[in-house]
Amino acid sequence: MRAARKEETRRRVLDAARELFEEIGYDAATIREIARRAGVSTGSVFTSFPSKAHVLTTVMQERLTDLYAELDRILPHLRGSCVDRCRSMFAVHYAFELRRARLFLAYISASFDWSAGPRAPVFGANTHLRGMIRDCLAHGVAQGEVRPDADLDMAVDLLLSAYIFNWRLVAIGVPDEAKLVALMDDQIGMIFAGLTS
Amino acid sequence: MNKMTFGALSAVAQVERPTQRALAKQRTREKILASARTLFTERGYDGATVRDIASAAGMSTGAVFASFTDKSDLFIEIVGDQHDALVRAMRAAAACKKPRAAVEAVLDAAVDAHMSDLPLFQATMSALWSKDMGPLVRSRLRRTPARDILAAVVKAAIACGDLASVSDPDLLAQMIWDGYISALRRAALEGLGTEAVRRLVRDQARVILAGATELT
Repeated sequence: MRAARKEETRRRVLDAARELFEEIGYDAATIREIARRAGVSTGSVFTSFPSKAHVLTTVMQERLTDLYAELDRILPHLRGSCVDRCRSMFAVHYAFELRRARLFLAYISASFDWSAGPRAPVFGANTHLRGMIRDCLAHGVAQGEVRPDADLDMAVDLLLSAYIFNWRLVAIGVPDEAKLVALMDDQIGMIFAGLTS
Repeated sequence: MNKMTFGALSAVAQVERPTQRALAKQRTREKILASARTLFTERGYDGATVRDIASAAGMSTGAVFASFTDKSDLFIEIVGDQHDALVRAMRAAAACKKPRAAVEAVLDAAVDAHMSDLPLFQATMSALWSKDMGPLVRSRLRRTPARDILAAVVKAAIACGDLASVSDPDLLAQMIWDGYISALRRAALEGLGTEAVRRLVRDQARVILAGATELT
C-alpha cells in the first residue's frame, strides 16, 4: 500500500516535470513548481528524487523507452559493417534528441551537477545506448572487423564523449541534424581506424 | 626651499592617498573573490547567492556590488582565473618536449590543474551548458582555448612524423579533449584520484591516436 502510494507520487512528479520542462524549460521549472503541478508537497518530491538533476535524468530516460523498443526490434535485422551500424545508432539518437534540443543541453549541464553526489546515476545514465554500442563492437570483433585485443569499453566511452560534446554545435546555435551526424560519422571513422589497424 | 619641500611632500601625499584607497579596494575585491570561490565550489552557480557571498566575506551586499557588476561578473572572473592557470600550465608543458611526448605532457598538466579544484570545474561545466550562463562562460573560455594548445602539439607530432598524417588533426584534438572532459566528469562523480585520471586520459588519447600511429 505504502509502496503503491510512493510509486503514485513518483509518477505524478515525473509527469508534471516533463510537462513543465517542455513548457518553460529546465532552469525555470523549480522543484516547488513541479510539486505544485503534481499536487504533492515539495518534501515528497525529494523523497522520490535526491535532486532536480535526478528528475531530469529520469524524464530523459523514459522519453527514450519507445525509441528503444523500436530499435531493439530493428537492430537484429540491420545489415552492413559494424562501423555503419554504429553510425546508424548515433544518427537515430541525434534525430530523436534534437526534437527537444534545449532539454538535452540542460541534461548535459545537469550531468556535472555538484549536488548529485558521488556515484550519481546522472553520469552515463543512458545504459541502453552504452549497451547497444558495446554489443555492436563485440559483434565487430566476432566478424573480424575489430581487433580482438581492442579495449571495447574505452572505445564506447570515447564514442559517447564525442556524441555528447558535439552538442556544443547546438549550444552555439547550430541545431542542424545533418551537420551533427556528418561530424559524428567522421569521429566514428577515426576511432574505428584505431580499432581495426 | 621650504616651500618646495612642502610642495613635494604634498605631492607625495596626493599620490599616496589614492594608492591606499586602491590597495584597500584591491583587498576588498580579493576577499569577495575568495568567499565567492568557496561558495560557487560548494553550491554551484545557482546555489550561491550574492547575499551569502557578502556575508561570508564579512561585508554588505552593497559592498559586493561596488566591486562587481553582478553574480555572473564574479563567476566569470573566477572561472577565467582557473582557465588562465590551466592554459599557462598546458603551454609550459608543451615547450621543450619531443612532439609525441608533448601530447601526453600537455594532458598531464591539464589533469593536474583541473584536479586541484575539481568542484570549480564541475560548476564551470554545469554553467557552460546552461541556458543563461552558457554564452558568458563560453566567450571567456574561448579567449584562450585549451583545445588549441592540444591541437598545436598534435600537429607538431604529425609534422615531424611521430604521428601519421590525418585528414583533420583539429578533429582529432577535439576528440581527445572530449574524452578528457568525460574523464574529469567521472573523476568528479566517482571520486577518482589524480593518478587514475592521468592514466585514463593517456590511455584514451592512445586509443584515439592509434588510427594515426603508423605501425612499425
